[in-house]
Amino acid sequence: MKILVTVKRVTDYERKVKISPDGLSLVTEGMNFVPNPFDEIAVEEALRLQKAHGGEVVVISIGHKDASKEIRQALAMGADRGIHVIAEELDPDAVARLLMKIVEEEKPELVIMGKQATDDDANQAGQLLAGYLGWPQATFASKVEGLDSEAEKAQTPGVVIAGGEATVIREIDGGLETLKLKLPAIVTTDLRLNHPRFASLPGIMKAKKKPIKEVPVASFGVDITPKVRNVKYAEPPARKAGVKVADVAELVNKLKTEAKVI
Amino acid sequence: MLFEPTEEHRLLRQMVADFVKREVEPQAEEYDQKQALNVPLLRRAAELGLLGLTVPAEHGGAGMDAVAAVIVHHELSKSDPGFCLGYLAHAMLFVNNFYFASNQEQKGRYLEKVISGEWIGGMGMTEPGHGTDVLGMKTVAVKKGDNYVLNGSKTYITNGPEGHVFLVYAKCNDAITAFIVDRDCPGFSTSKPIKKMGMRASTMSELIFEDCVIPAQNLIGVEGKGVHHMMRNLEIERLTLAAMSLGIADRCLTEMVRWSKERIAFGQAIHTFGQIQRYIAESYAMTEAARCLIYQTAKSVGPESRNRIGSDACKLFAAPVGKTVADYAMQTLGGAGYCVEYPIERFYRDAKLLEIGGGTVESHQKNITKDLVRMVD
Ligand SMILES: Cc1cc2nc3c(=O)[nH]c(=O)nc-3n(C[C@H](O)[C@H](O)[C@H](O)COP(=O)(O)OP(=O)(O)OC[C@H]3O[C@@H](n4cnc5c(N)ncnc54)[C@H](O)[C@@H]3O)c2cc1C
Repeated sequence: MKILVTVKRVTDYERKVKISPDGLSLVTEGMNFVPNPFDEIAVEEALRLQKAHGGEVVVISIGHKDASKEIRQALAMGADRGIHVIAEELDPDAVARLLMKIVEEEKPELVIMGKQATDDDANQAGQLLAGYLGWPQATFASKVEGLDSEAEKAQTPGVVIAGGEATVIREIDGGLETLKLKLPAIVTTDLRLNHPRFASLPGIMKAKKKPIKEVPVASFGVDITPKVRNVKYAEPPARKAGVKVADVAELVNKLKTEAKVI
Repeated sequence: MLFEPTEEHRLLRQMVADFVKREVEPQAEEYDQKQALNVPLLRRAAELGLLGLTVPAEHGGAGMDAVAAVIVHHELSKSDPGFCLGYLAHAMLFVNNFYFASNQEQKGRYLEKVISGEWIGGMGMTEPGHGTDVLGMKTVAVKKGDNYVLNGSKTYITNGPEGHVFLVYAKCNDAITAFIVDRDCPGFSTSKPIKKMGMRASTMSELIFEDCVIPAQNLIGVEGKGVHHMMRNLEIERLTLAAMSLGIADRCLTEMVRWSKERIAFGQAIHTFGQIQRYIAESYAMTEAARCLIYQTAKSVGPESRNRIGSDACKLFAAPVGKTVADYAMQTLGGAGYCVEYPIERFYRDAKLLEIGGGTVESHQKNITKDLVRMVD
């Protein structure tokens, strides 16, 4: 089974992002970049499925030329090869349409993506890609047994593939929903699907020899003019200091009258 | 580029930092208090390929260099210097030393077991009567038929209580010789763990040889030529010990800056006070200087290239930096710094060891001066 996985380079979620003085962009200079954590989960899921069903895991990143580092990390985790579309910052629609071209060429049976990237949290690319391809999709894939379960310790995939179908448990507001999708399909990962593995040292050494194909974005003939315009960035309002309450009665009273949550 | 010369070095640092965050940091305080080596964690490090870090790939290792060794010790010590010392005694003092000194037959017998972490290793050089003056050691080995018989004792041996196998130096006809001693060799025993101020997530004990019989195949290299292996391995040992001080300094600096932003005194964050600024700024400057010296020196340390004066200089400079920055961090945290609830007191206790273990600062002063006197006309 051929699986395509996407990996986006995002700003380190543990560091504070700074807004440029004109409020029109984020300051990337001096920022630390990491693979989108949801994408690491996607890579892990793909590797587990590959272990169970054989085939190939191909990693795609669309973005800055330095994103080859994030591809290399996925290769060190165990993926087979990479495709790097070198481009400036794109909106999710352009990303989905570029991915569509790659999917048409690579013809995978499954595309696994993070449900969103932790930089802009758009949560759109997977859904748009499924729409453009006319493929079934299951977003927010999760592991029903949970991350402390024996199933997770045994590195069992959360997505079950059998008889040309994928069975996916997904998190919805009211609980868990089980979907059966005809392959080929798109799956996007939630936080509780798996614990991604570390790139082991032997993996790191092997990754050195794995190929990454670099493709300039212009070669796809896709119109990447942004459909979304970033108008302004602003810091969230600083949190106000809390108040101390004398007793439980006052707390309950404040929750009712001020916070209005009970 | 100085700190991560290749893509592999960068990925290695990222992997170790992730491992530290997810698996090392959560257990650090517990094992410090238990005064025990976390053996399952060492085996986890083996799964990640860290125990055979410097062993070439054709023998089951990762084939990485001294810069990589510095990266691993630097990152581990940001969280758990005690565990890192146990790792160092295994991966540097035993595995690295053994690999470059042993023959094929010996590699076949031991390498897989120690790279996989099935067996834990250590190295015995120091004796109750001979530390800095190590060449004066009294442990003797006498050849008897197909065996050597060892008598004497070693002390302060990291991983002594858990170790399955040790690289031991003893005198054969008055010349230092290296041997491999298995725990089950007749006449070999270890003392109870020796309690210590810091580095409590690793253990140490005496190694005792009472007519200890080891097969002659356990002679490492040539009889009487053990000093060569000892001196070569001391370089990567001192370099990685210096990297541990750097990790301690990095962590203590971060903790001190965070605290200084949050702690309010006299109505203002304490980082606005000049005296606190001195602790922070001096810690930063000395940590950066240690970083540059250690990574720069690491480039020239390897099995085939020697840099004794460089590795001595790294440890001489970095060990007091780790200790001083831990001290400044404790001062910045005030009472909280002294309490076990915060990690600083643990780093403070751990930091001191680096001025003693692997050579005292005085021994580095002695070695460096000796080398310079020889080098300068
Ligand atoms: C936690 C820990 C772990 C250790 N792990 C190991 C291990 O795994 N394997 C191992 O073999 N050893 C190990 N050691 C031993 C360590 O290497 C020695 O403690 C160290 O070399 C110092 O020797 P010593 O303790 O005998 O001190 P001494 O040599 O007795 O020194 C005492 C003092 O005299 C000074 N001094 C001695 N000679 C001179 C001189 N010529 N000029 C000026 N000053 C001098 C010293 O600098 C020091 O200040 C460990 C020690 C500790 C504390």
